[in-house]
Amino acid sequence: MQNKKLKWKSDFEKSVIIENFVNRGWIKSQEKEEEQTDWNVYWATVWNVRNIFNPKNGFRLNDQQIINHFPNHYELTRKDCMVKNLKRFKREQDKEVLETFNFDFLPTTYIFPGEYSLFVEEFHRNPNQTWIVKPAARSQGKGIFLLRKIQQLKKISGTTVTSNMTQLNLASKENYVVSRYIDNPLLIGGKKFDLRMYVLVTNYKPLKVWIYNKGFGRFCNEQYTTDVAEIENMFVHLTNVAIQQYSDKYSQKHGGKYSIDALKLYVESAYGTDALNKMMDDIHNIMLTSLKSVQAVIQNDKHCFEMYGYDILLDSNLKPWLIEINASPSLTTTTPVDKNLKMNLINDVYNIVLPNDDFPDNDQKQQQPTKVGGFTLLYDENLDPNNRKTQKRQSVKIWK
Amino acid sequence: MQQLDNQEILMKLKSSKQFWDIKKKIKQGFSDQQKIGVNDIQKFAQSCEIEDQLIKLISHILKKSKKRETLKEDQIEFLNTSKIKWTELLFKNLDIVHQKTKNQEEDDTNTDSKLYIYDEKNLLAFLQTFKQQQSNNLYQNVQFQSNKILNINIPLKSSQSILDKYQYLLLQEELSDEKINKIRKQIENEHLDIELEKIAQTFVPNGERCLLYLKYFEFDHQDTVLQQHFVKLQKECLNQLFYDELLEIDGHEISEDTFYFVFQEQILTCLKCFIRDRTIKENIRIQLQSGIKKEHAEFQLPITGFFPFKNISKYVAPLCYLSTKIHIIYALFKEFFCRYFCFLHAISSESNSILSLCMQIEEIVSTRSPKLFHHLKVIGCDTLKLIIHQLVYCFIGDMDPPHILTIYDQIIGHDSLEILVILCVGFLNKYKSKLLLAKNQENVQQIFSELREDRFQELVQYAYKQ
Repeated sequence: MQNKKLKWKSDFEKSVIIENFVNRGWIKSQEKEEEQTDWNVYWATVWNVRNIFNPKNGFRLNDQQIINHFPNHYELTRKDCMVKNLKRFKREQDKEVLETFNFDFLPTTYIFPGEYSLFVEEFHRNPNQTWIVKPAARSQGKGIFLLRKIQQLKKISGTTVTSNMTQLNLASKENYVVSRYIDNPLLIGGKKFDLRMYVLVTNYKPLKVWIYNKGFGRFCNEQYTTDVAEIENMFVHLTNVAIQQYSDKYSQKHGGKYSIDALKLYVESAYGTDALNKMMDDIHNIMLTSLKSVQAVIQNDKHCFEMYGYDILLDSNLKPWLIEINASPSLTTTTPVDKNLKMNLINDVYNIVLPNDDFPDNDQKQQQPTKVGGFTLLYDENLDPNNRKTQKRQSVKIWK
Repeated sequence: MQQLDNQEILMKLKSSKQFWDIKKKIKQGFSDQQKIGVNDIQKFAQSCEIEDQLIKLISHILKKSKKRETLKEDQIEFLNTSKIKWTELLFKNLDIVHQKTKNQEEDDTNTDSKLYIYDEKNLLAFLQTFKQQQSNNLYQNVQFQSNKILNINIPLKSSQSILDKYQYLLLQEELSDEKINKIRKQIENEHLDIELEKIAQTFVPNGERCLLYLKYFEFDHQDTVLQQHFVKLQKECLNQLFYDELLEIDGHEISEDTFYFVFQEQILTCLKCFIRDRTIKENIRIQLQSGIKKEHAEFQLPITGFFPFKNISKYVAPLCYLSTKIHIIYALFKEFFCRYFCFLHAISSESNSILSLCMQIEEIVSTRSPKLFHHLKVIGCDTLKLIIHQLVYCFIGDMDPPHILTIYDQIIGHDSLEILVILCVGFLNKYKSKLLLAKNQENVQQIFSELREDRFQELVQYAYKQ
């Protein structure tokens, strides 16, 4: 039983974080804002993590401190960086001719403004294609819209855009990603949804990845349609809870959240066990490939771990597509079931990163069981660095 | 269904695994012989009981092929009279509900949510009003105790026989992948319902459940027919009925359920088609209402022959997991209702009826947990009132979908609703220690309002604890 009086600090006034720390008997750090030393456990914002690891600040974490982000997590969690790194990794893998990774989970994507001209060529090749435009570094569905005509890009350029332009000047300094819109999503009850799944990375070099057995589908409140008249209806197309909560049909009781367990039962019952297994294998592939793609660039640090929120969309063929990866998945709880999930999630995170409130050394980390609470070890590069496929199959079996 | 000719019987035999096992046995018995006569085969079959097995198999096929008759009259006359009274009461309720909906249309602020014709509490309250002159010594196995809610002289199976029947569930272990694959192949190859029942009793893999149910109900090659029937019903839904409004209101509760909200529209569509389906009256195993035609009444019974009731949506919901095709979901729901769930709303002495199931539960709890039974009586909470919701709605909304589908498997496996008796007893035993500390009804409500997770296997285990 954990009863060491570790000191905690949190930038988030979230009950699932604070209650977890209090339940463990940890004490809140009383340090002043400008001090950075008087804590053992810190659930920080990405900006504070960046400050802590900024060499100009001259601050070094000690062996009794642990923090919830890697310094340059944005390589994975900014939409444009994620795309850039995946494309780079794919090019590297193609040269290797090893073909151990499947990259067919990222919809065709262009980063604006740099790849605007490439996008225009593709746009003209497929004039009936719908595209989805997203700011690279924002969240909660902000600034997202669907695109059918080049002229709609006026929203982000601030000036008229025509189809013969080869360059796009953006009104703001932020990048945008423009992806092929998956217009045949898997529907349940006629409504679109995406999946939120949790992945914990405790080390990048070597890579160690845990997957959580609970997650949920986030449902739109309106029946899905590809009708052009509804293309701006965000209640049809965008699954973010931040958007759907404003729908007249939003329910406080379930919050549009449908458990992963229920979804798996549905897929297995309606499509068959083999279909479910393939779908889960493909999802695990997305997780591993995306993490591998940034393994070389992420600043690994023994004081760091990161719990990601993966957003995955299933299409009507049960093929999963990677939408984005969140470094700070929402810990707001919208329903009792949601609270239960997130409380257990955070509890299990700390059971892994601080087993028995101890800061484990490398040997202790090696001896960890492959299942801790709701987390199952998905990949440990230490076990067999050259046989990724075997590990993936084994870990999928464990996870089930 | 029509009487089968020899060719059809042979076809059905050939679709059974048991037939091929028998054939294999016969072949093995004559492997060395070159000349085999019919008499030889007959003698061999008689000697190793194959003849008995074949006779049973053929009898079963013939029995299943007979047209299913709807039970209209009960063997106990006072229940027939009671059914008429029940129907009259429901007609009165219908008038009240209709008036309420009119009032709501006129006054938006009036949000009376009791817009249903009856619920499980109304049904139980009605059963409690039965007073009957008991014919002495008519049914020996019923112990008449004044402390029970239901004191009715009807034929009842012994509680011990029900407990014994389901005891095998206590021994069920987790199956290996190899065994699960074997069961999968069995389901793919088997067609005979008694064999499918055996599979359903033990374990049904999620991926093959829909196929098993379709085969059991003989729908597996009827996709086009089912679809055409459903499409026809959907067209009829364009003509609005008053009952549609009640179904829409009923759907609100399911729309708030974390496991079923995604299927809300499908459930409503299925129910609207259901109340327009003329084939239900001839397929349902028991008549629910007595079929009175009310003179000058604005509303008559729906074409199904019974009124929709509160939470009817719940029966459809778990089946939405089984298929992406709404006509399949509908066909399964219709069959489950016509074969099984109808008994939960029928005034009848049949063993599957709500009356029999309630009496079985009371009998088991009063004899195996007398302290609990007595304590609940003392604090004004009858045993049956505590579990009537779970019983009538098969624990839907109380257990997660995988456990509900296991209940459905057991219902098919034994062609009976008796599994609900086991689960209700288990439910009461699970919360026994808390219930014994409860001092009043509010305490009891508090116990069940807390977040809880009831599981099939867990409740079975509790049912056998004393």
